[in-house]
Amino acid sequence: MEDGKKGLDIFGLIKSVLFTDFVKGLVITLGYNVSRSITLRYPDTEKWIPYRRWRGMHTLNKDANGRELCVACELCSRACPTQCITVIPMEDATGRGIADRVAKVWKVDLVRCLFCGFCEDACPTTAVRLGREYELACHDLSCTVKEREGLLKPQPVPESFEGGVVVGARFVRTPGGISVVADLSKSRKRAL
Amino acid sequence: MPTLDLILEVILLTVKVAVLTQIIFALPMPLTWLERKIAGHIQVRLGPWRVGPHGILQPFADAIKLLFKEDIVPDKADKILFKIAPLIAMVPAFAVFAAIPLGDTFKIPVIGAEVKLYLSDMNVGALYILAIGGLSVYGMILGGWASNSKYALLGGLRCSAQMISYEIAVSFAVIGVVMLSNSLNLLEIVKSQGGSFLSWNFLYLPVGPVWFAIFLIGSVAEINRIPFDLSEDEGTLSSGYHTEYSGMRFSFFMLAEYVAMVTVSILSVIFFFGGWNAPFAFLSFIPPIAWFMGKVCFFIYFFMWVRFTLPRYRYDQLMKIGWKILIPLSLVNILITGLMLI
Amino acid sequence: MFEQFFFYIFATVAIVSAICVISVRNPVHSAVFLIVCLLQVAAIFVLLRSPFLAAAQVFIYVGAVMVLFLFAVMVLDMGKAHWKEHLHGQSAPAAVLAGILFILLGYMALKGRMTAPLGTYNEAALVKNTEVVGRALFTKYIFPFEVVSVILLLALVGAIALVMREKRP
Repeated sequence: MEDGKKGLDIFGLIKSVLFTDFVKGLVITLGYNVSRSITLRYPDTEKWIPYRRWRGMHTLNKDANGRELCVACELCSRACPTQCITVIPMEDATGRGIADRVAKVWKVDLVRCLFCGFCEDACPTTAVRLGREYELACHDLSCTVKEREGLLKPQPVPESFEGGVVVGARFVRTPGGISVVADLSKSRKRAL
Repeated sequence: MPTLDLILEVILLTVKVAVLTQIIFALPMPLTWLERKIAGHIQVRLGPWRVGPHGILQPFADAIKLLFKEDIVPDKADKILFKIAPLIAMVPAFAVFAAIPLGDTFKIPVIGAEVKLYLSDMNVGALYILAIGGLSVYGMILGGWASNSKYALLGGLRCSAQMISYEIAVSFAVIGVVMLSNSLNLLEIVKSQGGSFLSWNFLYLPVGPVWFAIFLIGSVAEINRIPFDLSEDEGTLSSGYHTEYSGMRFSFFMLAEYVAMVTVSILSVIFFFGGWNAPFAFLSFIPPIAWFMGKVCFFIYFFMWVRFTLPRYRYDQLMKIGWKILIPLSLVNILITGLMLI
Repeated sequence: MFEQFFFYIFATVAIVSAICVISVRNPVHSAVFLIVCLLQVAAIFVLLRSPFLAAAQVFIYVGAVMVLFLFAVMVLDMGKAHWKEHLHGQSAPAAVLAGILFILLGYMALKGRMTAPLGTYNEAALVKNTEVVGRALFTKYIFPFEVVSVILLLALVGAIALVMREKRP
């Protein structure tokens, strides 16, 4: 319409009479309509497992003999920009840790934590690691502080698992809360 | 003195009206589900999923929610008009079905009795549908005015201006169909398109497709669907004429809108696509009602498909399309149709 | 018998709503009552075996004219002061004219000048109601029909001329 002075645009006229642009749009949307949905069916049947670089909930590692790697040097709590990590060391020669010095208390306040990973970098024995657990929501404040005992348990996704895939999952309701249990044997690439 | 036949006929008619009304009342429920599902899939999502398998029970959840919602009447609203406006919108949408045939006759397999698939064989059917269908707009105008809210009033005004502009073009399209089929009676219009698909009004070249385009565009504008839903433009008017409505009264407006969409789908099929006639003579072993339903379903899908394909027009564009394109085009088309029929 | 019953219903509602049109304060309510009145008249047309006229009445008056009325009434938002201003000096001649019209109509109705020949159409013709109306318009009443269309055309041109003049700077 704006460049009408250049003379009649025959092709444009024919195109608008035949609604070609409209039909093109319809074809595109029909294509999407019959295409497979990219929706991740979380939490019902699927779950996203992040890459290894993901910084989720803390985990405390052990060595091959089952001894704690943490030597309670308190570097992590010093490095922490939000002071959310509390470490109280103690002497213990029973072989619980790799050294005589182990943590009596090692707790992290996840509400204050900003998952920067400084504790991970500061740790001289690679004891603390940010894992791939990301379902941290809960019903009350009691679960926001994670203690050493809980953090020492291995997380559901092992370090050896590559990640970056969608795996099968099961939605579990228990009186204690809800969780999505991943089944690492079935995995597929993300659609988009 | 009423005879037995008359009484039987009245009973049959009452039953038919009751059944049809129930069907139309229930129809928006699957349609809302379908619309959301189609919206989801076109946007590569899933749509309703959690209530029942594939979210099929979602409309029931919605209905329960709407029933239990508080029916809010704004303090400064015109109370009476505010309360009856949704009914004014809904009643014509249902009343239109008095003249809409869903088929010729249907033989019930076991008893062998023939049932007419229409309520009345009105000889001014096409005109009646246009006249009554146009009344729905009062619900929207009065609802918008009675809400005593800027957005609702603007929505109502847009609705009335849009309706006046496009009613003319739609009426011209219906006049074109009446000229081609030589009757105002919908049954006659369908009968005149019998045989194969070549005798459908849509394929009465060159004017048939033009009439269809005018009818379709005008109807979409009249039933306030995207791309012409300027009267409930949520971007600028929050939600237009039903901004202040909640609960059941809001759902009456929605009901009217969905029933109007079904009506327009049925009319497109009757006027342009041969109604319940099979497209090929050798396919006529499939019952006519199946053909009819199939075609109507296609159009319902088409309207939803268009909704998620096109963006909304601007209001001046809407008026321009109505007055500067559709009406002159339909006047010229009436002339051509007349010349072709001589 | 049935028809009379329905006629009285429609006629009563029509008259009551017509009185309401001129007696209610709110212009939008007036318009709504006018819609009701016109719908009743359409129903009476159906009783008179002329569905075409009934449908045309609903289509044109209720469907189109009244929408415009409502549109105008809503946009203008006339207060009472405006009403006074519009009516000054015109009420007396208007009343006289209305009285004359009323007397004239009553006279013609009483003298039997306003009756149409009833019963000249058989059942077959009544079914083809639209055709009968069309034929009558284009043969017997072609002259009044043309006059009406010319008047409408003039009104159209006049309206456009008025709008154009206002737009000119």
